[in-house]
Amino acid sequence: MISGFFNMGTPMLGSTAAPLFTAEENLFHRLFFLKSGGSDFAVHTDETYMWIWWFCVAWFVFLMGLMVYFVVKYRRKRGQIAPQSSSHNTALEVAWTVIPTLMLVYIFFRGFWGYMDKVIAPGEALEYTLIGKQWQWQMIYPNGEDTPVVTTLGAKSSVPVYYLPAEVAIRLRMNSQDVMHAFWVPDFRTKQDVLPNRYTTMWFRPKAPPEGAKVHPKSEMEAKSAKSAPFIPGLEGVPYEDHWVFCAEYCGDEHSEMAAILRVVPEDAWKKWMDWVTSGDALKGVPPEKIGEKLYQRNCQSCHSINGSDGTGPSWKNMYGHDAALRDGTSVKVDDNYIRESILNPTAKVVKGYAPAMPVFNLKEKQILQLIAYMKTLSDAPEAKLPTPGLEAAPAAPAAPAAK
Amino acid sequence: MAGHTQAAHAGHAHGGGHGEHHGSYLERKGGLIHTIWDWATTVDHKKIGVMYLFAILFMFFLGGVAALAVRFELLEPVRVAADGTISGQFFKPADASSISAGNNIYNRLFTLHGAIMVFMVIVPSVPASLGNFFLPLMIGAKDVAFPRLNLLSWYVYVAGSIFAVSSIILGGVDTGWTFYAPYSTTTDSEMNSKVVFMVMGAFILGFSSILTGLNFIVTVHKLRAPGMGWFDMPLFIWAVYSSAIIQVLATPVIGITLLLLTFERIFRIGIFDPALGGDPVLYQHFFWFYSHPVVYVMILPGMGIISDVLAVQAHKKIFGYRAIAFASLGIAAVSFIVWGHHMFTSMSELASTVFSALTFLVAIPTAVKMFNWIGTLYKSSIALNAPMVYTLIFLFLFAIGGLTGLPLGTLSTDLHLHDSYFVVAHFHYVMMGGTIMALMAGIHHWWPKMFGKMYNDKVAIIAALIVFAGFNLTFMTQFLLGAQGMPRRYASYVDEFQTLHRWSTYGSWLLLVGFLIHLFNFLASLAVGKKAPANPWGGLTLEWVADSPPSEHNFDHEPIVRNGPYDFDTVVPPHWDPKDYPIPAPAAGGRPMIAHSPDKQQ
Repeated sequence: MISGFFNMGTPMLGSTAAPLFTAEENLFHRLFFLKSGGSDFAVHTDETYMWIWWFCVAWFVFLMGLMVYFVVKYRRKRGQIAPQSSSHNTALEVAWTVIPTLMLVYIFFRGFWGYMDKVIAPGEALEYTLIGKQWQWQMIYPNGEDTPVVTTLGAKSSVPVYYLPAEVAIRLRMNSQDVMHAFWVPDFRTKQDVLPNRYTTMWFRPKAPPEGAKVHPKSEMEAKSAKSAPFIPGLEGVPYEDHWVFCAEYCGDEHSEMAAILRVVPEDAWKKWMDWVTSGDALKGVPPEKIGEKLYQRNCQSCHSINGSDGTGPSWKNMYGHDAALRDGTSVKVDDNYIRESILNPTAKVVKGYAPAMPVFNLKEKQILQLIAYMKTLSDAPEAKLPTPGLEAAPAAPAAPAAK
Repeated sequence: MAGHTQAAHAGHAHGGGHGEHHGSYLERKGGLIHTIWDWATTVDHKKIGVMYLFAILFMFFLGGVAALAVRFELLEPVRVAADGTISGQFFKPADASSISAGNNIYNRLFTLHGAIMVFMVIVPSVPASLGNFFLPLMIGAKDVAFPRLNLLSWYVYVAGSIFAVSSIILGGVDTGWTFYAPYSTTTDSEMNSKVVFMVMGAFILGFSSILTGLNFIVTVHKLRAPGMGWFDMPLFIWAVYSSAIIQVLATPVIGITLLLLTFERIFRIGIFDPALGGDPVLYQHFFWFYSHPVVYVMILPGMGIISDVLAVQAHKKIFGYRAIAFASLGIAAVSFIVWGHHMFTSMSELASTVFSALTFLVAIPTAVKMFNWIGTLYKSSIALNAPMVYTLIFLFLFAIGGLTGLPLGTLSTDLHLHDSYFVVAHFHYVMMGGTIMALMAGIHHWWPKMFGKMYNDKVAIIAALIVFAGFNLTFMTQFLLGAQGMPRRYASYVDEFQTLHRWSTYGSWLLLVGFLIHLFNFLASLAVGKKAPANPWGGLTLEWVADSPPSEHNFDHEPIVRNGPYDFDTVVPPHWDPKDYPIPAPAAGGRPMIAHSPDKQQ
């Protein structure tokens, strides 16, 4: 029954001796939030929440206590009538209107102060770009790079992992490429809708990974054996803490798979990570179709299958080099140009039987070529055996790793 | 000695000895076809109320099946193994190769559940069924002001429901009951009719709401019995009246909004979809401008039922009558200026702050009502029968529903809880724990009057307790899930949430068991129930003067109101039997007064 209940390394409920009335680290706080907030304003939110909680508990116990007491005491007894009592008492009625009103004013202001902290980003904040699309989050680092690291979460096999520096204010500039989404980081206790027609922003300052946090593996070997962060040169032994990102505004079929992970590391380690991403070392020596496969898992997998089965979009199996019938009745040969156009301008030529539902993917030219290289491995057409221009084949790469 | 004369007077008020006596409204007139035709063309508010009640209960069953399916799917998280095998997905096409197809079924199920429960069950539930039946009876009228319009609103309701439900046959709608643009204007683009049918269904149902609301407002203004001033009306009437005002004022807005949505879908006019030059946040403003006030259309009549049932079953004058009546109007007024609290994550900071402050205003009249109800129990005489048990359940669940609204109205905590399971739980505590429990209290309270049959009270109480336990198991867990980070409308979830999801699903099964027992109890009552007396609970309002079931014209002659609705201290209930009710203390002038008796002080 308790399967996987605490597999993000959360301690058991009530395993602390902390007093009940402090906001953090007591049984009720754990029951509601599982663990303490991952950003500095999250702590204020939790305090407000717990304050309201105790306010509610007090009123609820008081009212229900009275109710149960009255029900027991004044149960109808045969042959007896209710004793007479007043059905109106101005002093009492004014009191029970005014006192809760004053308490509500206080709750409003607590919420307002916490809200101001959440919506006003400090001027020096580091700016990330965030793009929401059906059904994935894409974050772009201040230097224009996406992340090469993916992991699995829930039913989704390729959830992107974004590295964030601890104790640094980070501001997200967000927009959507299709319908509405909402960016929710439960550990930071904040969310913001991501709209297709204007930028919205949110900010947070992640707390440093706590004592005893997981650490990056020291070698490739260790990374394979332990289900943890990948091996990254320069980040050996660096502690990290993961925070989920969920989409909170219903956005269609794979709404529940629209997730990402924010991985907080100390700031100096984050700088090393950025160098590693920028240098392209992460992909050094990897054959282009292998990189293409990763890009496919990251961007395309939710709609396009590779085994011929139907999805939101056509399957890529035996697509490259063959003719595809289009919605407008014409047909087109699936070649490099068609694929490039379909990525950058997806609604130009839509395959028959499918809705024009694909969002624009702003991939780099090199990434498009890598995807084409991957698509070729899935096709039996003679053109698929030709090398992709613009990509130097990796030395000694096996011809078609994914095509079996 | 006093008992003897009063009994005689009670018999007198019953209408015996007045020669002209009408048959019950349930009496058959001829063969089966004739009876069906009689019901289908009736303008009798009681028959229309009963037809509404059965239609609404049927839709409640449909929506409930969808809810059970949703909960069943969430027993296990969906997982895809390395080799592509999908596990944990119960509803999926046989040849599904990706989780998308199964998710799609889940999305259609929760949309169906939400749309049916909101538009076809909770909005019309109390006003259209019990309101229709009892509003004229309680104010001493023969019928509503516009009986034909009343029949028309029933047919409009049926037409709207058929429209909406037929979208299932076309394959179902996956927009969620809120139809947020631009998703709702672009999904299923190969087949416009699915979404259009559902949206037009809601549009048509809106007309039914407006017509019923209009009818009630006029009825309350014009058809009160002689002697019944505004503050002599039962609180149920105040509540139905307040909600009718909201229905008439707010429903046209959703009508226009849904029409614009349909135009955008079919003709690609850019109103909400940015790709066509529209603004999706505008849709949210339009939608909640109706849908927030309508939350109070859903709950106010429920609160009215509770006020009446509580007073009658506790045999006590309601505490702070005027405060409750004004709280109903106050809630109706404030309900129009708080819609923005559904949009704290998509509005400007200033607007969010203003709406948060306004939202707290609603809490005050709601709290006042709660205090008044509990105050009424003080020094009362509480009969712990099924209507009262449901009333206590209402107070318990509605208190939780109301209090959990606080962290949602508070800005900083709402940014965390918005669109999470916390909201789902809060909404269900208010709507199901509030309105549906009040409806159950009302049905049990007035069942003897409506059908002239008693039901088995013990069985009803056991079923009520099962429903209570199942409800808390289903939704208490969801508060925790939401605070822990579970977003709503998810076909799957991360492993951490499975334990709570499982308990929630077990709770939904308990709810099913409870409601099935109620169903059999009601059927048994109709088939073999004991004949109900005219006033089984000793109520003082006018519906208890009428027969059980009431005659076709409700009253043998126009009743004259001579006492307040809750003067249990000084007035003897109509059809009073000294065996059942203790004698109230004599009024200042001598013997107690008999309710609504023409000879008030003899």
